[in-house]
Amino acid sequence: MNAIHLKKGFSIRIAGAPGRDLHRLDTPHQVGMVPERIPFVKPRLLVEEGDLVSIGTPLFEDKRNTRIRFLSPGGGRVTRIVFGPRRIIRQIIIALDKDEPCDAFDVPTVEQLDAIPRQALVDTLLAGGMWPFLRTLPFMDLADPNTVPPSIFVRLGSDEPFGPDPVVTLKSREDRFGLGMDVLDKLCDRVVINLTGDESILSALPDQAVVQRFTGCYPSGNPSVQLYRTRTGSEQNRAWFIDGQDVILLGDYIRTGRYPVQRIMTVGGSLAPAAGHVSTRAGVPLSLLCSGGPAGGQAARTIVGGVFTGYAGSPDSFMGFYQNALNLIDDGDREEPFGFIRPGTSKPSYSTAFLSAFRRKPFPMDCGQHGEVRACVNCGTCARICPVDILPQFTMKCLVADEVEEALAHGLLDCAECGLCTYACPSKIQLREVFQVAKAQYYKEIS
Amino acid sequence: MMKALKRLFNTTRPHFENGGRLEKLHPLFDAIETVAFAPALTTRSDAHVRDSLDLKRFMTFVIIALMPPFFFGIYNTGYQSHLASGLNLGFVPVIMQGARVVLPMLMVSYAVGLFWEVLFASIRKHNISEGFLVTGLLFPMTLPPTTPLWQVAVGISFGVVIGKEIFGGTGRNILNPALTARAFIFFAYPANMSGDRVWTLVEQSGQQAVDAVTAATPLALLPLATAGESASRILGEAGYTFQRLFIGNIPGSVCETSALMCLLGAVFLVLTGVGNYRIMIGGIVGVLAVAYPGYLIYLSSGGQTATMFSVHPVWHLVMGSFAFGIVYMATDPVSGPGMELSRWIYGFAIGALTVMIRVFNPAYPEGVMLAILFMNLFAPLMDHFVIKARLRKRVPNV
Repeated sequence: MNAIHLKKGFSIRIAGAPGRDLHRLDTPHQVGMVPERIPFVKPRLLVEEGDLVSIGTPLFEDKRNTRIRFLSPGGGRVTRIVFGPRRIIRQIIIALDKDEPCDAFDVPTVEQLDAIPRQALVDTLLAGGMWPFLRTLPFMDLADPNTVPPSIFVRLGSDEPFGPDPVVTLKSREDRFGLGMDVLDKLCDRVVINLTGDESILSALPDQAVVQRFTGCYPSGNPSVQLYRTRTGSEQNRAWFIDGQDVILLGDYIRTGRYPVQRIMTVGGSLAPAAGHVSTRAGVPLSLLCSGGPAGGQAARTIVGGVFTGYAGSPDSFMGFYQNALNLIDDGDREEPFGFIRPGTSKPSYSTAFLSAFRRKPFPMDCGQHGEVRACVNCGTCARICPVDILPQFTMKCLVADEVEEALAHGLLDCAECGLCTYACPSKIQLREVFQVAKAQYYKEIS
Repeated sequence: MMKALKRLFNTTRPHFENGGRLEKLHPLFDAIETVAFAPALTTRSDAHVRDSLDLKRFMTFVIIALMPPFFFGIYNTGYQSHLASGLNLGFVPVIMQGARVVLPMLMVSYAVGLFWEVLFASIRKHNISEGFLVTGLLFPMTLPPTTPLWQVAVGISFGVVIGKEIFGGTGRNILNPALTARAFIFFAYPANMSGDRVWTLVEQSGQQAVDAVTAATPLALLPLATAGESASRILGEAGYTFQRLFIGNIPGSVCETSALMCLLGAVFLVLTGVGNYRIMIGGIVGVLAVAYPGYLIYLSSGGQTATMFSVHPVWHLVMGSFAFGIVYMATDPVSGPGMELSRWIYGFAIGALTVMIRVFNPAYPEGVMLAILFMNLFAPLMDHFVIKARLRKRVPNV
């Protein structure tokens, strides 16, 4: 099969890549939801502290469309709801009972699936809390149940350091993945599996599925980049996407009629106590995932999601709704004598200004900024690294000067928010943040 | 040693912080401290990991690339001075003499430039940008060895304040600050910047007659060629061979005579990715593209017409300060264009303009300074059209 090869971009070689071994994690005593990390959602709580919930009880709904509900990932008692500034909902914590009650949903049988009208299927997915797994490009907001997308991308494989490997997540769950694909086929005429990584899982995919393979450097697994590389017209810009593992959940839901809570996650990074895949459940506490603490007792940053696009979570927090990866990276909070002139044999860099350009081994990364913030000197590193051919240095200046129209013409909405421009900028300008904020602001204005 | 240094910074820091006696000088303290110790800054949010390259290293590499011409310039300045003065030509005395000329200029340039930098940084409450270290070094390297120190001070003041700070500081200037300073000095004090006598510092000791030893630079000689006279013969008679011009042991501005040393610096800049090779190659192509046709016309007319083209095109690459200008001045990312295609065009235009100024306008013996400044002005325009052409190919997404 012809693969689309991504040349622009950059794969940093970070030590601590999770292997393909899968081990079971102990059942947690409590699970949690982290609504503040779901972009654009305006949550309205449907439970209070002290309420008894079962797996599948709605915890909150989206005020913008109350049919979109987020269900409880555990059965037991809501022990705490943590609010942040301006009453943003930080966490909903549920202490699990020994035998958790589980809500049953009215779902079509596998045989009925062929004949069921699209709207009925949408209603079923909405009722079962499965709808939020579908998201829309380019803003990555929840999909709108009232529209039909031009296409649905199934993102199979994550190349951001580090996420679950489809070889592990798909293993012995191929049939449920196939069932999930059948569901997606009912929602949209054009469903494409965008595969990155190991080609060997091709045989595990449904025969009639349309598969497009992507190779090359990070972020070839990013749906925005995949859309940018495959689209032929602007009518395809509002494609939906869903993660490969979540398609398995769709299959699970149709088969069992219950809200699926099992997840396969990765723990990685140079300070991970045991890097690898773990089988656990949604909303697992971070402290349980990285039990034992960072290797060597060093100060580590716990990153929920990948090291480019994830967020730093405190150990008493929980895994997010969309994140299936936890990375522990050295915090890097230390000074370095004469750092600017060292040969840097172990300093990772996109440039060739370090001797590390000759190094082939993975690097122990840290979260240091490696320099102070300076003005943009138009060096063009960001434009060379950008996978969707935006000119970040010029687009950033358009946005700073409030020229939104011009920034849009530059392809602002194609921005994959992959974080490479922020990573590579020698002036340490947070370009991704500038674009993310601008996109969100524009989205709020047009919706 | 490092601990003692750290302790020194820790004990002096309170004076420079809010409420301290020297609070206003905090940018200066910060600049010095961050040179000694890369600060312990961690990423605020995503991307959590960052590249190891920062602007400090970026600019330091330009300074490293400037070292070959700098040290050769010290040697050559001393050598030319001792040669003209009839003094000892041994290595050590020559180096001492060169250092005596070049280092005071460098120190004045850095001290006065730093004063303005600190002043603006304190008022604007931002950190001192490392770009200044490059400007402060570049400027004295382009001056004749006889330049009075007060002119160095005036020049760098003009370059930093008018060339950079009034536009908003580093990253916002439209002209290269070092070249702005050089151009200002060139037009403000022409007597000290051109003519035959400025290129060699002659010691008045001994019985040497000053007039007898001054020499015109190759570029000053060329316009003197009359019809039918070959430029290379004139140069040859003055003792300027291609090899000498390439190595650079000739009188001239202190550090820009040697094309060889600039080539070394260029290789370093390109390998480390700090300097853009497109501008450099574009510049060389530009020189040849204008000089070659002219040279062919000169040859085909049997040497009767177009005498200003009589010098072999390749000589243009090693004469004057073209090599220095295209390697170190034109590749300044701030005042140059940002798109790769416009960098080719920009470099080409600089090379072409340099030759045109040299051959058509004998009043300005050196064209590269004006060529770069002129193209600095056009860099945003080139980017504008290159970006426009590129955006037309995008699938729109609004």
